[in-house]
Amino acid sequence: MSLARWLTERVPLSGDRLRELTNEPVPHHLKHWWFCLGGTPFYLFVVQVFTGILLAFYYEASPRLAYDSVRYITDEAAFGWYLRSVHKWAATLMIAAVILHQMRVFFTGAYRKPREINWMVGVFLLACTLMLGFTGYSLVYEQLSYWGATVAANITHQIPWIGGFLKRLLLCGEEYNERTLSRFYVLHAAILPAALIALLGVHITLIRLQGVTELRFESDEAQSPRFFNFFPDHLLTELIVGLVLMILLSALATLLPVELGPRADPLLTPEVIKPEWFFYATFRWLKLFSATAAVLSMGLIVFVMFLWPLIDSFIRTRWPRSELSVWLGITAVLGILSLTVWEAAVAH
Amino acid sequence: MAGRHDHDRGEDLRGPTRRGFLGTTVMGGGLIAGYGTFAAIAGRFLYPARATVRCWMFVAPVGAVPVGGAIEFKAPGGEAVTIARRRRSAPEAPLLSDFKALSSTCPHLGCQVHWQPQHERFFCPCHNGVFDAAGNAVSGPPAEAGQSLSQYPLRIENGLLFIEMPAQRLSSPTHERASPG
Repeated sequence: MSLARWLTERVPLSGDRLRELTNEPVPHHLKHWWFCLGGTPFYLFVVQVFTGILLAFYYEASPRLAYDSVRYITDEAAFGWYLRSVHKWAATLMIAAVILHQMRVFFTGAYRKPREINWMVGVFLLACTLMLGFTGYSLVYEQLSYWGATVAANITHQIPWIGGFLKRLLLCGEEYNERTLSRFYVLHAAILPAALIALLGVHITLIRLQGVTELRFESDEAQSPRFFNFFPDHLLTELIVGLVLMILLSALATLLPVELGPRADPLLTPEVIKPEWFFYATFRWLKLFSATAAVLSMGLIVFVMFLWPLIDSFIRTRWPRSELSVWLGITAVLGILSLTVWEAAVAH
Repeated sequence: MAGRHDHDRGEDLRGPTRRGFLGTTVMGGGLIAGYGTFAAIAGRFLYPARATVRCWMFVAPVGAVPVGGAIEFKAPGGEAVTIARRRRSAPEAPLLSDFKALSSTCPHLGCQVHWQPQHERFFCPCHNGVFDAAGNAVSGPPAEAGQSLSQYPLRIENGLLFIEMPAQRLSSPTHERASPG
């Protein structure tokens, strides 16, 4: 008995069967590059899982050892600087891609019936991605890590009724202590990735069950095919996107390698301190209002974002010809962009 | 036996049976009790066992703090606290209200404030909170919320000044280097 036959008997999966299983017709508009913004964060997530596992071999999640272990990875371990930089840049690009993906879904109205639930799952995925970014830079135990974690814990404290409980749970005490960092590590390396994988499973299953919204552009030729095959056509496209991303990540990691800031000092907040760029808008918002007002208003904004498909449906029923939803979206994007640029432009 | 079978069949036709209801209740209750207990144990395991331990620490004899001046107290973790004596109300028995030990932790979101001598103010670099020399919020988010710098509790006993602070804190790297051992 040949090996191929032996294997086929146990794993009954031929090329034809694989084509049949994955043969989802993919709408022609997905050939436009900006419609691959959903697959891009997935690829970047895989890169982060891979590089994250490698970094975990040397990382030590304790306030006394964390900073030195990151310094060892960066300065001494072979290609440590490269892997850490790829991990960081993949996170940066993943967050950017998820935000752009969400904007694309918003402005093409792809969250409308019957895809409302998938939009809500997407909002959870965005939250998971941002929390992964935040917990990631908390692990380095540089100044930004410590003060970022302290501020985040105190933001959590502002949540009505359960804030105090959540803060103590997050920090394992009233304030940052010896046992805090391992909690951020477990969140970053186990709980949040597991949650993200589970949500991603639901997200992709719903896409497969509902299919992708079909769009036609004026520039499309009349006789161009409406669909193409997932396997192998779309898969090959995704592989090309993956290769381009890997080249981009390597270039960024080499030209702009991640550095190591000053070690955390629990007794001294630096003169100028800023979070990562994706929290600039939030950080500026916190400077404008009292903590309670800022946190409650941010919670309200996230809640509106979560329920947006239902709110949009109400708007369209009440004012069928209005472009209110689009204008609200443009206002939100411009608002977040302005706060981000404002925070980036000034020291305080 | 045949009679019993007929009896069961008769109950099935009438809808939910007492046996079915009991079975569902016991099964559901068992699952909730079993996994619920496990969840409670996991939650209790993760929740911090005790609140931050605070203790009273000796600062200095009361007479060592000059009236209208201040001394700096350094806690075991390296945290420096400025203790000011504003007046001498009663020369024989100094009053606690004469002393003030301002915390340098911003009441907004927990960053450390900086003393800016050129402006005679405390400034929080995180979210631009500003406090006057007495610790009162002047501008920024703390002023909006009416949050001033908090004060450490002080105590006078037999002419000695004590301060209550957290017993354990993560120390500063500069303090670790300076400390022997």
